[in-house]
Amino acid sequence: MASRTRGWLAIAAVVATGLLLTFAVQERYHHRVLTLVFLWAAMGLAWNIISGYAGQISFGHQVFFGIGAYVTVLLVVKAGLTPWVGMVVAVGVAVLAAVLIGIPTFRLAGIYFGLATLAYPLIFRIVMDWLGYQEVAIPMKREQPGWFMQFNEPRSFDLLALGVLAATLALSRVIETSRLGYRLRAIRENEQAAEAMGVDSFRCKMAAYMLSAAPAAVVGAVYIHAILFIVTPEAVFGLLVISQTLVVSLVGGAGTLWGPLIGAALMVPVSEILDTTVGDRLPGIQGVVYGAALMLIMLYAPEGLYWRVRQAVRSRAGRGGEAARSVIVAPPADEAVASVATQTVLLQVRGVSKAFIGLQALSDVSFDVREREILGVIGPNGAGKTTLFNVLNGFLIPDRGEVRFLGQPVTGLRPSMLCARGVGRTFQVVRTFPHLTVLENVMVGAFARDAAVSRAGAAAMAALARVALADRAEAFPGGLTTLELRLMELARCLATAPRLVLLDEPLAGLSADGIDVMIAMIRRVRAGGVTVVIIEHTMQALLRLADRLIVLDQGRRLAEGAPGQVTQDPGVIEAYLGKRWLARLAAR
Amino acid sequence: MRPLSRTLIVVLALALVAPALFIRPAPAAEDVKIALVAPLSGRWARQGQLKKMGAEMAIEEINSQGGIRALGGAKIVLREGDAGDSVEKAVSAAQRLLTREKISAGIGSWLSSFTLGVTEVAERLQVPWLSLSYADSITERGFKYTFQTSPVSSLQAEQALELVTDVARRNNRPIKKAAIVGDNTAATVFFFKPLREKLLAAKGIELVVDEVWTPPLADATAIVQKLRSTQPDIMFYGGTNFPDSIQVLQKIKEFGVKTPIQGVGAWLVTPEYVKTVGKELLDNIQTVVAAHPLKGQEDLVKKFVQRTGEPFMTQDPLCTYAHVWLIKEAIEQAKSADPKAIRDALAKIDLSSGPATSAFYPARVKFDERGRRVGAAPLIVQWQGGEPFTVVPAAVATRPLAWH
Amino acid sequence: MALAELVQYVATGLLVGGVYALMSIGLALIFGVMRVVNFAQGDFMMLGMYLTYFYAISGSIDPLLGALLTIPPFFVLGWIVHRGLLARVTGGGDPQRQMDAQLVLTLGLSLVITNATTMILTPTPLGIRTGYATQAFALGPVLLNQARSYAFAMALVLAAAVYVFLTRTDLGKALRASADDPEAASYQGIDVRAMHGLAFGIGIALVAAAGGLLATYYPIEPTVAGNFIVLMFVAVVLGGLGSIPGAFVGGLVIGLVQSLTLLVLPFQLQNTGVFIVFLLVLYLRPQGLFGRRARTV
Repeated sequence: MASRTRGWLAIAAVVATGLLLTFAVQERYHHRVLTLVFLWAAMGLAWNIISGYAGQISFGHQVFFGIGAYVTVLLVVKAGLTPWVGMVVAVGVAVLAAVLIGIPTFRLAGIYFGLATLAYPLIFRIVMDWLGYQEVAIPMKREQPGWFMQFNEPRSFDLLALGVLAATLALSRVIETSRLGYRLRAIRENEQAAEAMGVDSFRCKMAAYMLSAAPAAVVGAVYIHAILFIVTPEAVFGLLVISQTLVVSLVGGAGTLWGPLIGAALMVPVSEILDTTVGDRLPGIQGVVYGAALMLIMLYAPEGLYWRVRQAVRSRAGRGGEAARSVIVAPPADEAVASVATQTVLLQVRGVSKAFIGLQALSDVSFDVREREILGVIGPNGAGKTTLFNVLNGFLIPDRGEVRFLGQPVTGLRPSMLCARGVGRTFQVVRTFPHLTVLENVMVGAFARDAAVSRAGAAAMAALARVALADRAEAFPGGLTTLELRLMELARCLATAPRLVLLDEPLAGLSADGIDVMIAMIRRVRAGGVTVVIIEHTMQALLRLADRLIVLDQGRRLAEGAPGQVTQDPGVIEAYLGKRWLARLAAR
Repeated sequence: MRPLSRTLIVVLALALVAPALFIRPAPAAEDVKIALVAPLSGRWARQGQLKKMGAEMAIEEINSQGGIRALGGAKIVLREGDAGDSVEKAVSAAQRLLTREKISAGIGSWLSSFTLGVTEVAERLQVPWLSLSYADSITERGFKYTFQTSPVSSLQAEQALELVTDVARRNNRPIKKAAIVGDNTAATVFFFKPLREKLLAAKGIELVVDEVWTPPLADATAIVQKLRSTQPDIMFYGGTNFPDSIQVLQKIKEFGVKTPIQGVGAWLVTPEYVKTVGKELLDNIQTVVAAHPLKGQEDLVKKFVQRTGEPFMTQDPLCTYAHVWLIKEAIEQAKSADPKAIRDALAKIDLSSGPATSAFYPARVKFDERGRRVGAAPLIVQWQGGEPFTVVPAAVATRPLAWH
Repeated sequence: MALAELVQYVATGLLVGGVYALMSIGLALIFGVMRVVNFAQGDFMMLGMYLTYFYAISGSIDPLLGALLTIPPFFVLGWIVHRGLLARVTGGGDPQRQMDAQLVLTLGLSLVITNATTMILTPTPLGIRTGYATQAFALGPVLLNQARSYAFAMALVLAAAVYVFLTRTDLGKALRASADDPEAASYQGIDVRAMHGLAFGIGIALVAAAGGLLATYYPIEPTVAGNFIVLMFVAVVLGGLGSIPGAFVGGLVIGLVQSLTLLVLPFQLQNTGVFIVFLLVLYLRPQGLFGRRARTV
């Protein structure tokens, strides 16, 4: 992929520009500003790893910044340890803190996570005050200043900060182009769909958190030595640090390494200029400007400047526009293929019950799924069909009962683990990753089997080819038709190389032609050796497709058997089909 | 090409902004520049403004009396740096000032954390710096360019305890039980530590209440409750954060606690206290400070009050006034405006009279090898009728101590 | 320790907690109806304190009354802020993104308000002198500070008024409907956007009143918000995001925790007790005492 080398070239260009500025700038104070730009950009990039890529907005990232600062300085003061080594120790402590914080906090969803992150830096502040570390000054080492990061030449600090920035840029780039990067973005876009595609979201978030803590700690350590010279709890665990981080990242744009760069290059000099020119007449002008910047961005360009500009540039250039849409032709009819189901039981469901408040969704449901069959699940609305799938898929834990897949008990396993074992899933309402291309969507599924990005890409293309969607690979889900979306979701599911797929109403919202195409695809899937369990409302379609049917009504299994049999069952007719339907069928 | 065009945007943004940073004011040719880095805006702006007032008064006096004789009557000019409300701003202001102008010496910066950062910059750039901060840490770093005129907190603790027990004994109310109440800001911590660790025990005084809080204080009841039940003979008090302090003082009145209050620091001596809690509540409260107008300085105080409209003169403007005069004396002795020469002059200086010693008790300015003023001793100031007066030692007091 | 002392700790905690409770109700209402976590809540409280001070200085109005008088102007202010700012933030349509975007918006708003106030009103602390701030009611050996007692009583009254409004009036029921199910409410003909504006206005008015009550014993400065905003969040989470009675109880509990922490931890760690409770609630029962089950991953 040529864009990969181009990405690295661009980073090199940024670093080169930084070097240029380092040597061009003369005044000591301007060097300070430059150092600040580099450091805050790096901090923004660190934050971006967990809050931009993974979408877990943290309001307490300064915890790691502060740990980096305190550990490094305390090691100098108490043990005379050079900060070059002290930084490494600080990173270790920060990563450990990330693990300890992450374990309980990542269980919280949405807003609760953000609120929890508020508490940690506050606790650290109080504890540091209590321990007597209100003001820790770095002892001046005149004999070996370089060894203790106490340079006389301001350019040295610029270079140090630039080095930190370069390293963080490289880290971000590596993440962006790795499996973890794709998975993080999938989690951000739709965590449940990601889980169903084999992404263990807890482990991924934890990895991202640890990776974001390390550079933050380094930035904190360098900040103290280059800018502040003393550590106070307020200065490193306080509101200013996180405000600065948020402004830099959000104004520039989260979810990309360009965002914090742009944000820092813009906001840091602006704030310094304001401070020097009108700061004493208008105290707090910096706070007002930062606050206003955050508000304006949220109102007018919530994704950030980078994405907004890119969008504008893209639409002007006409790229990303719709390629000529080819009409998807139904592959040759395989109607006559007889059932190739074997007698091997792939999935065993025994006595599964699940209740919600005031509703018994599933009641003692038992059935088998045989290898290579197409099993249809039907029933009136509210019968518990999707709930059943959620149990089979791992999204819900049943109150009673057991599920066995390939002979192994799988009740209560996470969706990502079930995916790893070979259970695939599509959803009633298509769950896409909207900001990823179609190909990237499918790659998330392919990553369940292969960690290498290039191989996953190839597998994804193959899956798209199987559903005749290969020409839409570079499009975004927002521009797809319903049929194309369903095919994409199917391809994504197939890319996880499942043994069995759970299709939840794949025909919903399709036209008659679309239904034909979809049915043909599903047959193809089965012909490829995959067992299919399918929920559907459209009886006609299911009769064409399914080898066997299961009828659910009010959470109970009402009937089971061949379609012809089941449709004659009086109980089924009473509960679901209705006599008139039967009459119409007979009339055909 | 796309990633490179983005790089271009970044470079352009920087390039657009960079030129603005290159604007500098042109320095005047002969004037001697003194830097003042203090909070001139934000939470502590009042204190910084007071320092500035003191400095300006001294500069006006010096210039009107002929300037610096050794430099042919050169005038002194003040260059301010706003320390704002964060260490970063203070350090930034110091760095800006000291690199853009030819600063001969500097003063500041009120909060000990600001002072620590600012003196670090001054040390690296080799500009002598005078500070009135009390924290021991200021001169424990082996710096050559930092000069601390106030007695350090730990020393204040020792000497203040002497003064206080002495007064109590002479009034036939020896101190048997003491309380320590305050927050955990640096100067307060440095004062309390030796007190609780050895000084009180050495005098056979029992420490009955020891409550230190992290600002902000939610409610003072727990503390004052303990005071009420143990009834100490004296309370050493370090509530530097204004809202916290108000709560404590009001709660003390509410609970009817009569323990005499011995503050620790000049934060207790601001007009805001009078405005917020009223003079009756403040009456007889004392505090240990490094400097306050002494007997014989009435004219100085009157001049200050007239000039500024402030109700009274306190430590900040007084010390800054004296610091400017001290720098002037150092320049006279060094016969040069070069910072290194001034630093050497300060290291050797030994003054016992003149406006440069006006803020210091005893009236002698000589620094030891760490930069601490030799023989520095604290004063005790007491609120009486809504105004603070020096009461101890009696020799320099402006009013006699009002005993409770 | 003596029983009387323990009772004093509890009483102190409850009195402090009463005002926290009033501050938190506004936040809970705003979150319950609009799903917005308003970071600027503390700053509006600070502005309420300044307005109460203004009433006291210019009209010699006792702050207890002044607090009530902050309600109408701040209601209007809240309405305007909602219309002009919050209602415009959609975060691109995704509800999760919208919540994040509104959180950041209110954070920005908080920065602007605090710093603009510092610029315009100067940061010198101000205080309203009331006789009852330094007097106490004596209930046996237990002393109840008068200012805080009055504030507690007023907080109760206001909270009760809000509760009655929400449960007994049609408008209140419409508000709750919009909170429970905006789609269904709009089908019923309820203007959900107006309900949001109403909720925000009431929420801001309540916290401004709480500020006025606080001003009877606490000095006023632009940075006051910072001392209380996290406590408010903790109280609301404890009670259950979106539950009004929950937030009230949460505020009382936080006051108690603060006070009783002193029995176990050194004074300097007083607030860590609050944060630890916060984290424990989030880990063990994120929906709080009264809230509905929150979605966990």
